Amino acid sequence: MEYDVIPRTKAPGFIPAAPVTKPLWTCSVECLFEYMRIVFDIYPTNRLIRVVVGNRCMNSWAQKEMNMNQLAVALASVGPPWQEAVDDDEFSAVQGLSQAVEALCQPSPAQEEYLASPAQDQIPLVNNGRIICLTHMKSEAYVRSLEECVIDAIVQHNKLASASELLLPINQCEVTLIHITPVGEDSHISSQARRELSDVVNSEVHVAQSGKFLYFKTVALVQEHYDLSSTTVTGIPMKEEQNANSSANYDVELLHPAAVHSDIMKQEQAEGIIIPSKEGLPTTTITLKWCTPKSNVVELHNCSGAYRITPVDVNSRPSSCLTNFLLAGRAVMLEQPRKSGTKVISHMLASHGGEIFVHAIPTCRSILEDPPSISEGCGGRVTDYRIKDFGEFMRENRLAPAAPTMLSTMPVKPINKALERLERSSRFWPIVISDTLVGNLMSTISPLPAFMVKEELTDDEVLECKKVIYNIVSLEAKNEVLPVPVVGSRGKGPKREEQYKQLWNELENLVRAYSDTSSQHAKVLECLLECKKPTGPSGDQLQQSPRNLSDAKIPSEEKLDTKQIEQSWRDLDKFQRMTEREKQELLKGEKSFDSPPSKKTKTEELIMQPGGQNLLSLWTKRVASINNKHHAEFAGRLEGSGLKAKLYPHLDNEDMEGGSNGSNKSQSNSQTLTGGTQR
Amino acid sequence: MPTVIALDVSLSMSRPVPMPDTNEEYQRRHLAVQGINTLLDFISVNAVWNSQAWYERNIILIVSFSYLWERTVPFTRDHDSIKAALNKVELYNKTCLETALVGISTTVQEEWNNGVQCQVILVTDGSVGVGPGSLKHSLQTCSARESTESKFPLPFTFPCKLHVLCVANPNDPDLKTALPLYQQLINLNSQGGEVLVPEGPLSFRSVQDMFQKFAEKIYTPFHAQLQCGNFKCPVQLHPRPEPYSRDLEFESIQMKEIWNKLEIVGFLEIAEVASPPTVSRHLVLPTPTRDRSSKTENSDKEKKTEGGKTFTKGDEEEDGTEDGKVPSFAVLLHGSLKVESMVALARIGEDWFGMLYSWADSKKKSNLMLSIFEPGLCLENIPWLGNLENLCPVSAFETPPHLVEGGQPPFPVRPSEKRSYAQSCVVWIKAAGLQSDMQKVLRHARKLPDKQQQFYKEMNRIRRAALSFGFHELLEAMAAMLERECTQLPGTAHPSAALQLTHAANALRLPSALEIVHTIMPLQTNFTPGDR
Repeated sequence: MEYDVIPRTKAPGFIPAAPVTKPLWTCSVECLFEYMRIVFDIYPTNRLIRVVVGNRCMNSWAQKEMNMNQLAVALASVGPPWQEAVDDDEFSAVQGLSQAVEALCQPSPAQEEYLASPAQDQIPLVNNGRIICLTHMKSEAYVRSLEECVIDAIVQHNKLASASELLLPINQCEVTLIHITPVGEDSHISSQARRELSDVVNSEVHVAQSGKFLYFKTVALVQEHYDLSSTTVTGIPMKEEQNANSSANYDVELLHPAAVHSDIMKQEQAEGIIIPSKEGLPTTTITLKWCTPKSNVVELHNCSGAYRITPVDVNSRPSSCLTNFLLAGRAVMLEQPRKSGTKVISHMLASHGGEIFVHAIPTCRSILEDPPSISEGCGGRVTDYRIKDFGEFMRENRLAPAAPTMLSTMPVKPINKALERLERSSRFWPIVISDTLVGNLMSTISPLPAFMVKEELTDDEVLECKKVIYNIVSLEAKNEVLPVPVVGSRGKGPKREEQYKQLWNELENLVRAYSDTSSQHAKVLECLLECKKPTGPSGDQLQQSPRNLSDAKIPSEEKLDTKQIEQSWRDLDKFQRMTEREKQELLKGEKSFDSPPSKKTKTEELIMQPGGQNLLSLWTKRVASINNKHHAEFAGRLEGSGLKAKLYPHLDNEDMEGGSNGSNKSQSNSQTLTGGTQR
Repeated sequence: MPTVIALDVSLSMSRPVPMPDTNEEYQRRHLAVQGINTLLDFISVNAVWNSQAWYERNIILIVSFSYLWERTVPFTRDHDSIKAALNKVELYNKTCLETALVGISTTVQEEWNNGVQCQVILVTDGSVGVGPGSLKHSLQTCSARESTESKFPLPFTFPCKLHVLCVANPNDPDLKTALPLYQQLINLNSQGGEVLVPEGPLSFRSVQDMFQKFAEKIYTPFHAQLQCGNFKCPVQLHPRPEPYSRDLEFESIQMKEIWNKLEIVGFLEIAEVASPPTVSRHLVLPTPTRDRSSKTENSDKEKKTEGGKTFTKGDEEEDGTEDGKVPSFAVLLHGSLKVESMVALARIGEDWFGMLYSWADSKKKSNLMLSIFEPGLCLENIPWLGNLENLCPVSAFETPPHLVEGGQPPFPVRPSEKRSYAQSCVVWIKAAGLQSDMQKVLRHARKLPDKQQQFYKEMNRIRRAALSFGFHELLEAMAAMLERECTQLPGTAHPSAALQLTHAANALRLPSALEIVHTIMPLQTNFTPGDR
């Protein structure tokens, strides 16, 4: 697209309020700037405009030169035409047009890229353009001669271009000649509608007086050339400077691609909201009502399109109020005025990254009306999904645009990096709480899962992982109750040894999933397998466990010297060397009383929730709780109320003593080890 | 997806169909009704899930066409009422397709307002009528109608596929002349669709097969695999995603289809995606586990239980609990997206992305939804997200960009240049623009020397703009204005104010003022409070 500005003598175009008069040249440049401001605001890329003054080009097709500031500098260096240049007048208009044609023959960067691509062989490039010429023409005959000049120039240049690798022939060219007359002067040239001059060139002639008339013409043309349309946001409440308590309503007219209104245009009841422009433009605008935003909560709206906007009168107070409000991050919904009074939100204004967009929101009925809830479908009745944990997972897998330096150093596309990362972090991830112990024991096993996901592990990180494993070994050796929350109605609450078995299996799956990442990862698996108990009859676990532990100790001593781990091992060894009696004492020393295999003080609660228990544990707990109760009574009051009161304390005592004598092997062991817990 | 079935009820539909194995006489319309029933049954079976009275696709209307059109059944989700109405249709005189098309067009617009993709199914017998009102006549005149005449209803103003199902013998000579005309209709609508003819001689079986085949093609739900790393979950998309076509500047996308895999690449906050423009929306429903394995084998049995709604309550509950209790990744994903106010970005095709999020029609019922973006990696699709292939997991950053204190958040991606409304651009087309700029200079002038810096900044800004606009007269005008201001300074004014004003006015008149790169600097005076 091209803009050709031909200098013209300083004819005064009066602007009533200003004490100085604007030259015709200034008015033309202003309109040129306005045209480009609108185009560049709405289409920052891929809409190229070159400005030609006489035989000088102000910019190239390069995207970085599609920039108002640069043009401002370039045009300032040209300056307004001088009196002496008048004689050159005719000459320079012709010069400008042929310069413009030449520019159109030069390929833009995008065209160059296409020419180099293989697609060019299938579908040849089409090079279309438009030349807009702002000038003052002496007569109708001069109009003809300018048109002839363009046709001629195109024929000549196409000849040149077809012989050249560097130039492109012009397939189609629109010529818009704008004849400018000073304000108040009658034109001796009449407007002409678009007509075909040759099979390549179409031409139209517009006539406009300078000043605001030319401006109106420019805005109307830019809308036509770029298929733009206009929206007037009505009823924007603004506080007055003088009177801060009251607010008056203002309207702001915006320009944007016509597609914004494609929904409205299809409607039958479109009349009434299309009105003549309130800014005085010779065009129509669609009125949409401002809806004051009520909250700052960002919602996700269903949008069929988002298009850039620009205000018609960019520096007016209402416009800048609106744009500043939007640039500050607020979004405004726009409502279609309807006679019936129903509220129809059809658009939203919002800024993203310093650009303001209008989002089109579909207003028609959706076929997705009244759908069932996801909870009614497959998997909908499951209530213990790890929603919160997956939320964490999502946060860990958030995306952000790669920095330019990362783009150059990354061996794969960033998006593939993201896919790899997701694959790694989801290798072992049970989705419901009741299916996993690992997922519920994050505090115990952290940071093992996080480290395993990493692609590389340092020695220290391997050590940390091993610490976790040894910690579990020591917990198990002491038969510590795993801090698993009692939730979910699925399955029965497993016994402690089963819990450990499950935990070890899950841990193995987890670590195994990553073991092939590096030798460091493999080390963690090795360590885990050494520590993991072989699955034998559960009754023998006690006997096996110390042996296992000492086996596991050998490699650990080679590799580890961390004090903490040493400490826990020492504790363990000490504990194992103790006689049953000593263990009992330790137990007593640490805790005044512990009920048999049940879960310590939680007993009462657990009885209230039998869902997670099996029959045996229910029974033992019930017994334990009754024992507890009666024991307390016995301690509290010496007077018993019956035989049972006497009998149960006895039993209780017996239980404790008997346990230490090993009369009930498995029970006593668990009791003893529970006592050994370190808190 | 709304479906309109238009059934031909002209007298020609009452032609008997010879059936060797039965003594009863059947007419073409009986076959047509049977065929439509087959279609309805298929839709019921494939409706989203049967425990709900929510059939996403079965929004059907029947327009009987003959000489006039009639809305036999309004848009409804109740298949039984359609079946009942089908049994009651009466025959009228001759075939006139155009009236049927007018009827379809009117009703759909009334109900859906041009915004919804529809299926239009014409069920007819291959006779197109004769003389005025015949299809041939309509097509011949459709382009040459005067404004006073009613416009031909095709192409429809709403997006739809037009299908013609013929209850006719494939070798019927009438049909042979009709087929090109039907095709012409479909082409006129230019949104796709097809003409179907039974395979083999006309019989209940062949007509049923034709409808069945058609239904399978159009109404089979879109099956896809939802994938997030190692999480996998079979899902259905409702409505079926349509192939995408669009002409771009250098290339055109033709009938591009999405993959059968929705591959999640990562997650974003709702505020970060900021209501991006989308092409279409689809419900993402976990597929019942039994669906794939048992449906094909037991389709007959299922048709009986689900389609005919004859199942007992017990059956339904059993089915429901089985499916409901198998954990599904889609449900977990939905729950977490909802709680965290996030969306999942998913790759759904070659250079094509979409987003998954929790969507609620009402406050209570929410669902997993897929919104499909414009295909292609063009930066302009969603400028504030940038090129989607450049999105990187936060773990790849040295410090996660969301956590950098005082730094720019990673989104929105900012363009390199500011728009006119976000910077102080100069527009003097209206006198008010120039006046307010001049006033700003004067305001600063009155507060000299405190506002010295701002005074020179504003003055140079105006000067540069004047040079760009070729408005050199303004420099002299501004100089004169500053001198006048100088004479009007109050006696209490700081002495340097007068000096600076005079200096500025003189500088504006120097030839150097006409150079755009030149900046007029403040006068160094004894009063200048250092170089602040």
